[in-house]
Formats: sequence, C-alpha cells, structure tokens
Amino acid sequence: MIANIRKLFSYRELIVSLTKKELKVKYRGSVLGFLWSLLNPILTMLVYSFVFSIVLRAGIKEFAIFLICALLPFNFLSNSVNYGAGSIIANSNLVNKIYFPREIIPLSIVFANFFNFLFELVALFIVLTVLGYKFYLFLYVLPVAIFIQFFLVVGMTLLVSAINVYFRDLQHLITIIMMVWFFGTPIIYPLEMVPERFQFIIKINPMTIYTAYYRNIFYYVKYPEGAGFPGIPETLIALGITLLVFFVGYFVFKKLEPRFAEEI
Amino acid sequence: MSERVNNYRGSGIKNSGDNIAVDIKSVSKMYRIYHEKIPSLKNTILTRKRTTYEEFLALDNVSFAVNNGQTFGIIGPNGSGKSTLLKLMAKIFLPTCGEVIVNGSLSALLELGAGFHPDLTGRENIYINSAILGMRKREVDKRFDQIVKFSELEKFIDTPVKNYSSGMYMRLGFSIAINVDPDILLVDEVLAVGDQSFQAKCYKAIYDIMKRGKTIIIVSHDLETISDLCSRAAFLKEGKIVDLGNPIRVVSQYRAYVEELEKKRAEDQQREERKKIFKTVIESNIKVVDGEDIEKLSRLDSEQAIKRFGSGDAMVTDIRLLDENENKLDYCKYGDEVKIALDIKFNRKVEGPIFGIRITDIKDNIVYGTNTRTNNLKTEVYDKDESLRVEFAFKVTIIGGNYYVTPAVGYKDSKTYCDWVNNMLTINVLKNEKAEGIANLNSKITIEKIS
Repeated sequence: MIANIRKLFSYRELIVSLTKKELKVKYRGSVLGFLWSLLNPILTMLVYSFVFSIVLRAGIKEFAIFLICALLPFNFLSNSVNYGAGSIIANSNLVNKIYFPREIIPLSIVFANFFNFLFELVALFIVLTVLGYKFYLFLYVLPVAIFIQFFLVVGMTLLVSAINVYFRDLQHLITIIMMVWFFGTPIIYPLEMVPERFQFIIKINPMTIYTAYYRNIFYYVKYPEGAGFPGIPETLIALGITLLVFFVGYFVFKKLEPRFAEEI
Repeated sequence: MSERVNNYRGSGIKNSGDNIAVDIKSVSKMYRIYHEKIPSLKNTILTRKRTTYEEFLALDNVSFAVNNGQTFGIIGPNGSGKSTLLKLMAKIFLPTCGEVIVNGSLSALLELGAGFHPDLTGRENIYINSAILGMRKREVDKRFDQIVKFSELEKFIDTPVKNYSSGMYMRLGFSIAINVDPDILLVDEVLAVGDQSFQAKCYKAIYDIMKRGKTIIIVSHDLETISDLCSRAAFLKEGKIVDLGNPIRVVSQYRAYVEELEKKRAEDQQREERKKIFKTVIESNIKVVDGEDIEKLSRLDSEQAIKRFGSGDAMVTDIRLLDENENKLDYCKYGDEVKIALDIKFNRKVEGPIFGIRITDIKDNIVYGTNTRTNNLKTEVYDKDESLRVEFAFKVTIIGGNYYVTPAVGYKDSKTYCDWVNNMLTINVLKNEKAEGIANLNSKITIEKIS
C-alpha cells in the first residue's frame, strides 16, 4: 500500500488535471457555471426550510442554518459516491487504452467534489458572519472533521466504483442507498427527535457523528464541553468504521482493478 | 496482487540482460467471453455465480524479447492476438500466465485522442492527455508550441474538440503522443493519420524517434511499413508466433499465408457461384423442355444477376475455365495460359452462327469481348442435336479480382441470339501486388540521370 501511495504521488499531476477537468466539464456550457455549486444547496435549503419551519413547524431555531451545515458535508459524500459509481465505465476509453493507476479516476471525482465542498464552506462562512454566528471559535476542529470524513468518502467511492464495473445494477441501487443514508443521518432533524430505541442505529452511522461535529462548530457553536454528544466513545467508533470502510474500499478496488479493462 | 504487479517492474530485471527493453516470457492470455454481456446483481445472487462464459485463448505461450533501440514489427491476421500483446506490454491487461518485463518508461499509442473530452478546448485537452500519458506539466509547457505546430491546428487550439473534424482530432492526438518521448513506444495501426502530407510527417516523426535510439514496437497491417521501418518482426497467428526474425522473411511468410487464404476463399466463392449458376441454368432448361414458348424464356429473370435470353435454337450447356492441359481451374493468376471452354448444343438447324464471350468486372465494365466473326472465323451449318465445344485460349493479363464471363451464340445477322447467358462463369484472378487497376500493361521501368 505504501508503494502504491508513492506511485499515486508520482501521478499527482494527472490527479490534478483530471480533477480540474471534472470541475470544468461539470458546468461548461451552463450560463451560471460554477455558481451552480452554490445555488444547488441554497435551493435545497430553501425547500426544506419552507417545509420544516413553515409547513410542519418543527420549531427549530434558524432552521436554514441548522440544515445547511449538515447538508454540505453530506452532499460531499453523496455526490462523490453517485458520480464515482459510474466513473470507471464512463472512462472506458481511457481504461481500455492507456495504463495509469485506475483509482485516479474515482479519486479525481472525490477531489472535485471536495473542492466544491470547500467552496461552499467559504460561502457558508460569509453567511454565518453576516448573521453574527461566532463559528470561528471552534474552527480548529473543522479540519480534523473534514480530514476524517474524507477517508469515509474515498473508501465508499472506491468501493462502489469498482463493484459497479462488475455489477451495473449498483449504479441504480446507489441512488436509493444514498437516500436512505440521507434520512438515516440527522440532517433535516436533530438527533434528540429520534426515539431512544432507534438512536443506537443512527449513532452507528459515522455520518451522524460527523454531522454532529459540523453542527456543533457552526450552529450550536459549542465544543467540546456542553455538547455532550458526540463523546469520545462515539467518535472512536465512527473513526473505526470509517477506517474499515476506507480499507475495504481500497482493497476491493485493488483486487478488482486488474480486470477492469477486460470487463468494460 | 502486489506480486503480480511487481512482475512488471523491478523483480524481473535481474533475469534479463541490460540490453532488453521488453521481455515476453511464455505469456498466455485467456479471455472470458460472457454470454450475457452485462452481469446483473440479481442473477448473481440468485444463481450464486456469474453469468456463464467461454474461455478464449488469445495468446498461447508467446516468448520473445525486444532489444533497446530496436524497431520491432508485429503482423498477423485479425484476431491473432497482436493488440492483446500490446495491451499486455502497456499493462492494460495482466497475463494469465507468464510474465511481461518492461525496462524503461513506456508509452502506448493504442488509440489517438483516447480520453479527449469533447467539451474542452484543444489546449485543455493537450494538458489532460499529456498528463494521462505520463508527462509533467512543466514538460508540456515547454513542448506546447511544438505540439500545436506539429498538429497544424494553431487556429483551432482554443476551440472545443467536439467541433474538430475527425482528421483534426487524430492529428492532435498524434502530435501529443509523439511528444511524450518515452523510452519505449507502442504503436497500434495509428500511422495512417490525416492527409498524405501529414502522414509523411508522421512517418518522419517515427523515424526521428528511431534515430534517437528509442525502442518502438509497431503493430500494422501495412506490410510495407513493417519491412521498411523494422529491424525485426514477428508473425502472429491464432495467438502463436509463426515466425520471428528478419522482417523481409517474416513479411513474405505472412504474404504467402494471406495468398493461401485468398486462394481458399476464391475456391469457396467459385463453388458457391457455380451452384447458383447451375441452378438457374437447370431451371431455365426445364422451362424449355416443358414446352414453354421461347419468348418467355428470353424475358426470363431480367432482374437477376444471371440473365439469359435468346431463341434457344442453340444453348450453352456448360462453361469452364481450363488450363493448357485441359484441367479445370477454380482461379488463375497473372501470366497463366488459360482457356474458356463452351459446350453448345443445337436444338434446331442453324447456319453460320457466331460464338462469343464477354468478360466484365464486378462493376459491369467490359474488360474484354471477342467472337468468331470479329476474328473472321467461318462457322458451318449445324444440325439439330449436334454438339460443339468452342474454346477461347488467352494469357491472363488482367489484375486480381473477380470477373464474370458471359457466353453467347448469335445468328449470322449478328443482331439476334440463339442464347445469351449473363455472367455464367466467375473467374477469380489472384491479386498481383505489382500493379493496380484492371489491365496489367506490364511496364518496364527505367531510371536514368539526365543532368
């Protein structure tokens, strides 16, 4: 694995260039271009805010902010997985004709979505500043949270992109899985709303823990004292699951990779 | 996994000499051909195995080595495993058994412009494609102008490549690939790019790479390229190496094989054609025997490839291609002395008929026509039930291809016919590599200095 990381490092320019390509191609030809990466979460946020604070009256203070600081990290995951699933097949002309470490393809998709995520965060900072949130107080926790979540995203994306070469059904299945995952993570609702007996299941989901971190940093502006959740044990479990997903994703990918060219 | 990948890299180097660029050691490659192209999760879960497949041995225990600085050619018919071999060298496929050792950086031109994104401009694609081929951005910056100049696309470099013509697309692909400058270059049938002048440039670029002492491995159907460029060659057939070594010898081996194949095909075709003709002849004869009026016969099957008309007073009952010794031929080649023999049977008394043949090519151009009258040959009076054999002997001076022979028996007024059978015989002339067209004028070529 160390050797492979070294090899990937020697291909760093290709990763950069393919990431740039992903970003360029995504919005090429659309009038608003890169702004779509901002508009998209904003529009989603408006819809949910309308439903939850006006129609359903969930009674959550500043629901828009409550939602967006959990939605952005989840979008990073779900966009990477959704785009990543078909990425090897979509690049069959490359896989079939030129050799390079294949994980570069899903990785470049993760990186492209990662830059989108960072860009959205910057926009979020501006909004929070205007609204008077003191989000900067615990901002030093943010890089850690992002760094750990990054491994989860890479692991999942590698896993689905490799398996999808062999089982094309996955591409359709993954949309549904990601939807279940979305509702299984406290994004549009707070964790406390979940009945006690289900909380266990929700807490197993590492995204729950990461969402809680993001929300503590941006929305509640409290960390770590007083937050209560997530505590050290939950965090360690989430970390363990994340690393498991990462290594399973990596090794499944490496196992299946040699026959990609023949299978697509 | 790591062990297999390592076989490509360092571990094998100690076994091979310093001078070897690519070493193929008893390599076999087995493909799985799935019966259902896209396996589905449902089936896999239900049947607990993947869809059924057959195994196909694309390469069967192939071994050879290519030395540094050598230009190595690989030829062979379609499906012989040439491209598989290149893909194994390029690490796109892993061998089923055996090992492939590559010493030095390698770049594969398996397809020009693979990985171009249609929405991006030529400039952007140059950077991405170069990175895919393993170039550093700094190097691309340095060679950018050179790449653009070579492709002759200065004006269009900031246009999205989806607006390029296919020629422009290929030119850009070739220009990028040629500038990668690897130690070993794999080339698969991509030399024929663009118009004549650009092709010449491509060849020159390849020559330059050769001159710089790089190793080149070329797969091509263009035998001239192989014998011109290569210092060694391999002839691959059904996944096995038939011949390896001097390119002139290997190419001639391959030529012999192709000729053999063509002969066989010609024979098959001949057999088919003959079956068809006999069927038609028999059908039309039955109509006459049945007492159908002759006019009907003359209007027979005007749409068909084999058109027959005439009064039926005399009928061509058989037509054959013979050699000098009266042996029947299925094909002939340039320079052969052959005869076309007609069997003619008279159903009524005919005075001074004209016997003739016409040879046409597949586009229905008349290649040659002659008859007894234009040759001032007197014919007699023939009675009912009399049979004749008429022979037209000539030397084959036409160039390879399929030709049709139409025999005819005309009345002496040379306007009406007893019998005319369109394209009754097919002659297969084997390809002659020295000339093109229909007629072989067999020119003598001389060169002399005039200054």
